[in-house]
Formats: sequence, structure tokens, C-alpha cells
Amino acid sequence: MMDGEKRLTRKKNILFSAASVVILCVLLFPLYWALITSLKTEQEIFQNPPTFYPHILNSKSYAAQVETGDFNMFRSFANSFLISIGATVIAVLLAVPASYGIAKYHFKGRKVMLLSFLVTQMLPVSVLLTPMFIMFKNMYVYNTWIAAVLADATIGIPFSVLILKNYFSSIPKDLEEAAYLDGCNKFTAFIRILIPIAKPGVMVCAIFSFLYAWGDLAYGMTFILDQEKRPITAGIFNFMGQYGTKWSYLTAFAVVTIIPVALIFIFMQKYIVSGMTSGAVKG
Amino acid sequence: MKKIKRMFRYENVGILFVFPAFLYMLVFVGYPIIRNIILSFQDVSAGNLVRGTKSFIMFDNYSALFHDSIFRTSLSNTLRYTILCLVFQFMIGFILALFFNQRFALAKPIRGILLAPWMIPVTVTALMFKLLFATDIGVINYILRSLHLINKNIEWLTTPGTAMFALICANVWIGIPFNMILISTGLTTIPKELYESASIDEANKVQTFFNITLPLLKPTIESVLILGFIYTFKVYDLVYVMTSGGPVNSTHMLSTYSYKLSFEMFKYSKGSAVANVLLLILLVVGIFYIKVTTGGEEE
Amino acid sequence: MKRKKLIALFAVLTMTAGLITGCGTSGNTEESAASVDEGAAGEETAVDEGAAEETASEAEPAGEAEAVTIWYYWETEGHQVALDQVIQEYNSSQSNYEVSAKYVPFADFKKQLSIGASADELPDIAILDSPDHASYVEMGIFEDITGKFDVGNYYEGTVNSCTVDDKLYGVPFGVNCLALYYNEDMLSAAGCEVPTTWDELMTTAKALTTDSVTGLALCSVQNEEGTFNFVPWLWSTGATSYDINNENGIRALSFIQSLINEGVMSKECINWTQGDVMNQFIAGNVAMMENGPWQIPTMQSEAPDLNWKVTLIPKDSEYSSVLGGENYAVISGGNVEGALDFLTYATSEEQVKFMMDKFGYISADKTIAANQFAADSPYQPFVEELNYAMPRGPLAEWPSVSDAISLAFNQVITGTATPEDAAAEAQATIDGIVK
Repeated sequence: MMDGEKRLTRKKNILFSAASVVILCVLLFPLYWALITSLKTEQEIFQNPPTFYPHILNSKSYAAQVETGDFNMFRSFANSFLISIGATVIAVLLAVPASYGIAKYHFKGRKVMLLSFLVTQMLPVSVLLTPMFIMFKNMYVYNTWIAAVLADATIGIPFSVLILKNYFSSIPKDLEEAAYLDGCNKFTAFIRILIPIAKPGVMVCAIFSFLYAWGDLAYGMTFILDQEKRPITAGIFNFMGQYGTKWSYLTAFAVVTIIPVALIFIFMQKYIVSGMTSGAVKG
Repeated sequence: MKKIKRMFRYENVGILFVFPAFLYMLVFVGYPIIRNIILSFQDVSAGNLVRGTKSFIMFDNYSALFHDSIFRTSLSNTLRYTILCLVFQFMIGFILALFFNQRFALAKPIRGILLAPWMIPVTVTALMFKLLFATDIGVINYILRSLHLINKNIEWLTTPGTAMFALICANVWIGIPFNMILISTGLTTIPKELYESASIDEANKVQTFFNITLPLLKPTIESVLILGFIYTFKVYDLVYVMTSGGPVNSTHMLSTYSYKLSFEMFKYSKGSAVANVLLLILLVVGIFYIKVTTGGEEE
Repeated sequence: MKRKKLIALFAVLTMTAGLITGCGTSGNTEESAASVDEGAAGEETAVDEGAAEETASEAEPAGEAEAVTIWYYWETEGHQVALDQVIQEYNSSQSNYEVSAKYVPFADFKKQLSIGASADELPDIAILDSPDHASYVEMGIFEDITGKFDVGNYYEGTVNSCTVDDKLYGVPFGVNCLALYYNEDMLSAAGCEVPTTWDELMTTAKALTTDSVTGLALCSVQNEEGTFNFVPWLWSTGATSYDINNENGIRALSFIQSLINEGVMSKECINWTQGDVMNQFIAGNVAMMENGPWQIPTMQSEAPDLNWKVTLIPKDSEYSSVLGGENYAVISGGNVEGALDFLTYATSEEQVKFMMDKFGYISADKTIAANQFAADSPYQPFVEELNYAMPRGPLAEWPSVSDAISLAFNQVITGTATPEDAAAEAQATIDGIVK
């Protein structure tokens, strides 16, 4: 199937690849800068002109994070992970059927429902914190990771609905009808035919839901009081308040936060990227 | 008649698919919206939050906002910030999506890595950009100095105009992968046969882009822009961590100002009113979006 | 065909039902998980420190000890350890109450208390920043504890900060104030005397400023922390917190602005917390700083070789400083008995002395403070400075007044307004609050 597409000439291939490497370097420079800053000594950070690689390798800022015991990196990392996975599962489970319903059925009030999904995305945190807090307290989940999961899912759901509805609507009707002829009903057609076709879209929604939950600061910080249950973002924020301009410490913390996720994504990206960009509609 | 009846039942099934998600959002987000609207018409502050009467003062909170200079700044900041961010991140994201849609050897792996800025918690991004834009040790000042574009360090985060610029840079950096990936995925929904027939017709690249790519991408582009608008418009974390609305309130957004009023100054009702203004603007954008995306459909 | 539709409907219904019951069951487990959590709350905070875990879990099922929770915002490890030590000793000294303390970051503290007030989810004791005390009293979440504690010997300003309408709503934890730190080596290298007036301060700061060193730094962030650092300069001219738009107020703003314009203070100060300012000072990037005594333990451990001293904040027309520190407050509706019992223990002379030393604070009790430090102690200048220190407020609307003051100072520092305009604007805001 791929060969149907025009292949690039060898020369163009090299040229484009080189250009893409340049783009990569420019866009990821902030990350590189954080990494090398974390490996410099405080004196070197203040050196003028700045050094583009650490002249004296300083790993003290990393050691310090293990030593200062009150905040546990690994635990907060695991918390974040648990919360993000939970939120992703809820978001995908609820959003996939919902977006299918909106895309394929022109029921009454459909526009209103679509609009209300949009509206839920529009709320500034200051509106949500207090009422959500009261609800979670009444549900007896305040100060547990479940509160953060439930809150974070509210970011992922509407987003996923709005994105996925495009995928479902781009699937030709005749494909569905062919499924009915094969003896599928609405539900099984949805499960067997439509979800696999919309897989790239589902993938994107899962990733985005995960990342929204992963990056959340306000919910994790408000609905979870105990430091040891809080997500990693709350830890960094705290750390910034504590170490202000001690850049070697701060960047080391940032790197430790980024690396594990980066690894997961680098190892998984083959699946993610191919899932997202493989010819979806061809079926 | 029979057909209509059948249609009706058929659509009913649709509601059932949507209902669980709708219910979830109604519970967790519907209640806060209503509470917030009520709160904005009351006069709740520290004194009567827990005890005492909460009297309704109707639109007083809203009319007070018109005389509040920080509110006006926040409103114009939010608009300026959102539009500038959208323009840049969409353009760069689009160009990158098209570029990485070419089949060269490194296209897929590098596009994958470029997702990185998106998966980094905003809190960390804010920290990194604070470092890049630092006055004395910031590498951006160094680069500009070496290129002889400036001869004195710019105090990015401590000067009102430039602090906004730094925020926009950070947000665009986060937003590029978002735009790139959604547009990339949108590009895959365009049947390749269309391009093939276009190349048979010997249409040039620009023509193909405007005649095939752009029209077929329209739903994707609409989603990207509208979602981008909504997420940018209610920006909170990035501003809160990077500038906290400073220097001298010059980077306050509606969301950060509402937060500050509610949780730092205990002016709950006024904070709610600010949040409602934000909500109202987004609602208008949302209705516009629904109109545009579902306008062509028969209902 | 019809049958298929029915099946479809059924399928969707089951799915929905599954989701709802799914929620329901998880709700139940959450409930039990949460109640376990509540019971174990004390245990969890204590895990970091170790020992309390067993006592908590032993005491809980027997129902002997009632839980008493405390919220505080100190991020400094030394502070946390010291407080926990007092709590441990208290817990093992009696069996009626089991106290546990929870760290709530400062940036979050106000929000957590105010949301907690709406949701009726508060600790039994809060240790909070003294200028905010009056706001929470107005919110009605603090217990009136008049007559329960003898605060007759306490510094008047600290008692005022927790008194509203002649009723006592809290007990001062400890006090601090701001003073001027200077790098002795830098001063002697530049041949400067220790400055005592604003003019001298300006000359000294100019002499100390080099390519890599700025003369003076003071935390200027636009929030309560910034206000805390500005008001000594404001008050030194004779201006008050509520009366800024006059010759005196403008002079204070102009002076701060001239520090920036002369290049002896970095504009970056608006991003520096007091901790950052201290880090800049011990890194040798700053020659003089305005800061509090709680930095001393950290400075001594992180920069033992640095030669520094503390002196009074240079004056315009009169010496002035600002009273800082925290108050204990008992939450009404909580475990008031237990809270009072613990506070009685924690405010005893022995415990106060122990904590003040570890914290780098000065006791709010004048008699304890008088003998707290040796004559050559670096803390001694702060005790002297306390004589000139005044409290912020007390006023329920203090957060709004404070906001106006720190805005005015930030405006002149960033050059976005002239001192005259900044003073006028601040005055307009304050007049709208304090009628």
C-alpha cells in the first residue's frame, strides 16, 4: 500500500532528514538546556558567557534529591502515573461511545449536547475547585487519588469527544452498512468495525487524556492534601517555592520528572505514531 | 411516516451512547457552573462565606468589573495572548505536519520525539522558560547578545511587555506538537487516491494543497483551532507558575485574576463574576463552533 | 431488523448500567478506603518521622486517643522536624489525644483553608501567617479562646494580630522581624561603614556594587511577602499602611525606585522570594539584604565561612521594622478540647524555647525573649529591631490593602508608574477598602 505513494529521491531524502534534525534541535533546545544546567555547578550556571556543556560535571543536585528525604520522587511519580491512567481509562470508556453517538446519530438535542461538552472544557479552575472539593468530600474520596482521577477525567472526556467525533464521521456509512449485512447489530458494529477503524483517534484521545491528567497541577494540589499522595507536578511546584533560583536543583528535579515519561514515549512511539498515522479510512 | 418513526428510534440509540459521558460531566462540571452563576450575583466574601446571610446584589459584581483596571488588563491580555499563541502554534504546527508527512527516512521517529514538549507537565515547562528568559544567566539574552541584536540584557520577566512575550513563547512551544499531531492525523484521513488522481491531472503542489488538502482538513482545522482557543483562553498553570500575573499585574489573565480574587483576597463573588465573563466569551466561541461544524448537516 | 434494534438498545443499556454500577461499586470501595484514610491520617504524616505510627494504630481501634490535626506551611526541614519532635513528646506524655501535623505549602495555604471552610473540612489547629489572622476570624472558622491563655507577657503587636473586638482568637507562635544583613568582608574591602540612614545606605550600596555584585536586595514579589519587605521603608518615613499618598509615602517609593535606577538593586528582586534573596546573599551575588532571623540556621549550615552581620534597617526619619511570624488558631467545630490541651503544652516555656531556637524565631513572650540569646548572638540585633517593629493590620481586609501596597512598590521598581502615580493609585484602592 505504501508503495503507491511517490517515494522521495535519495537526495531529497537526505536533505529532508537533515532539515528535520535541525528542527528537532531547535525545538528541543529548552530540554537540552535544562539537562545541562542540572549538571553544572552553581558557579558555572552564573558564568558569562554561558557554557553549552558542563565543563565540570556536577551530579550533586541529583544526589541531593535522594538525600533530602521529605519528598519522595518515586512515590509522587507513581501517584501521577496511577492518577493519569485512571483518568485515561474513564475518559476513553465514556468518550468513545459518546463521540460515536454524536457523530453517527442525528438525535434531537445533539447540538446542545455537543455544546455542553464544549462548555465543560471552558471552565477556569477557580470555578471548579470549591464545588468539586465539596462533592469529593461527600463522596468520601477527598484526599485520595480517586478524587484527582475523577477531576482529571473531566478534562479528557470532552476533549476526546470533540476529537473522536471527527474520526467517526469520516468513516463512510457503507462500511457500517456492510457490517449490518454481515449480521452485526448497532452495538457489535460499533465494537467490531468502528472502534478498530477509529483506533488512531482513540489512541490520540488516550494519549491526550493521559497527558492532561499528567500535567494537572491545580486538582492534584487541591483535592489531595497529604504530600505523600500528591502527584509529581505538585512536588515540582513545591520545590520551586522552596529552592526559588537554585537552578541546578530545580533543573535536576525537572529532568528526573521528564526522563521516565520520555523513555516510555520513546519506546512506545513506534506504536503511537504508526497507530496515529497509518491509513485509517482504508479499512 | 413509518420512516420518520424509524428514524426517531434510531436516533434514540444515539442518545444512549452519549448519555454516560454526558451524565458524568453534568455531575462534576454542571453543578459547579450553576453554583458559580449564583455566587456571582451574591456578595460573598470572607465575612459571610460560612455564616451570615448572603444577599443577592444582582449585577453589582459585574458592573464593578467595568471600573476595575486589572480586570480590563486581564481581559485584553487574555485575548491578545490567545490570538497570538494560536496564530503561531497553528502555523508552525501545520508546516511541520506537512513537512513530516513526506516520506523521508527520519520523518516518523523525529515526529515522535517532537511530541516531547506536549508531554512535559506545564509546571516544568514554566520552570524551563523561566531559566531561558532569565536576565543575567538566561541563554536567550546571550544568543541575542552574540548576534549583536541587543547590547544590554533584556529583563524579560520583570518588564511588563516582554513578560507577556515570554509567556507566549512558552505556550507556543507547548502548542506546536498539539497542532502538528492533530493535523498529521487529519492528513491521514485524506484518501491517498485523491492525491494520486491529482498527480495524474498534473496539478502542482500548491494547487493540490488548496484544492484537496485544505478543504478535506477543514473539520480537523476547526477542531484544532477551537480547542486551541479554549485551552489557551483559560490558561492558568503556565501563567501562575511563570509570572503569577506579574510584573505589576501585566500578565494577569481572566483565569489567574479570578483565582486571585477568590483564593487570595477572599472576594468569592467578584472572582466568580470574572470567571463567568471568561465562560461567556468561550460560550460564544463554542456556539459559533457548533454552528460552523454542524451547519451543513440536515437536521 | 426490529429485533436487531432491540438488541442494540439492550446492549447500550447494559453498557450504561455497567458504567453506572461500575461507578457505584467503586464508590463503595472508595468510601471504605476513605474512612481508613481518615483514621490513618495521623499515622501517615508521622511515617516520615517514624515513631508515631504504632501509637496511632494501636490507639485508634481502642478509641482511647482522639485525633487532633494541625496544618502548617513551613517548608524548611528544620522547622518541620522541630514541630514534630514537640508533637511526639506531647503524644507520649498523655494518652487522651493523638496530635498529627500536616504540611500544606504556603502558596496553597489560604486556598486550602478557605475551601476547607466552605466544605467544612478543616484541621483542629492552624498555624498561620499573622496578617491573615483577622480575615479568618471574620470568616468565623476560629474559636474564641479569650481567657484560656495568658498572653499578658507577649509582645503587644503579636497579641493584637489575633485579637478581634477584644476577643482572643489565637496564640502567637513566635515572632520575627526584618533587619539588614551585610557581608562584612565586602564592606571592609570597600572601606564602608555600616549604614544607618537611607543616604548612607545608598552610598554604601553604590560602593559595594560591582560587575558581579549588587549592593542590596530585598524580596519584592507582588504578594504578602513583598508587602512584608516594603512596609519597613514606608513606615520609616512616618507614612502608615493606610495613608500613602503624601510626601512620606512618595518618598519611600522614590527611594526604592532610586535603588533600582542607580543599579544598586536588581530588578530581578520582584521574582525573588526571601529564600532566594538569602541564596543570592550567601552565593556572594548580593552585598546587603533585608531578611529575617529564620534564615540564620540555613545560612550557618550552608555558608559557614561567610562573614556577615545584622544591623537595624537604615532609617529615613525613624527606625522601623515589621512584625512577622505565625499564630496558632483553634478551629471552631473541631476537636477544641484536644487543640487547647496541645496548645497549653506547646506554649509552655520549655517547648517554646526549644522551638524558637530550632526555628530561628524570637519568642512572642517578652520574658522568654529577653534571655533567649547571648549578647553576641547574631539574633540579638533582631531582638533590638523588635522594639521598632509594628504589625500589619490587624484588619480583615488586610489582603486587599497588602495587594495595593505591593502593587505600588512593584510599579516603581519596574518603572511602570512614577512614585506619585503609584501612591495615588494605591491610596484610591485603600480608601475603597478602609472607609
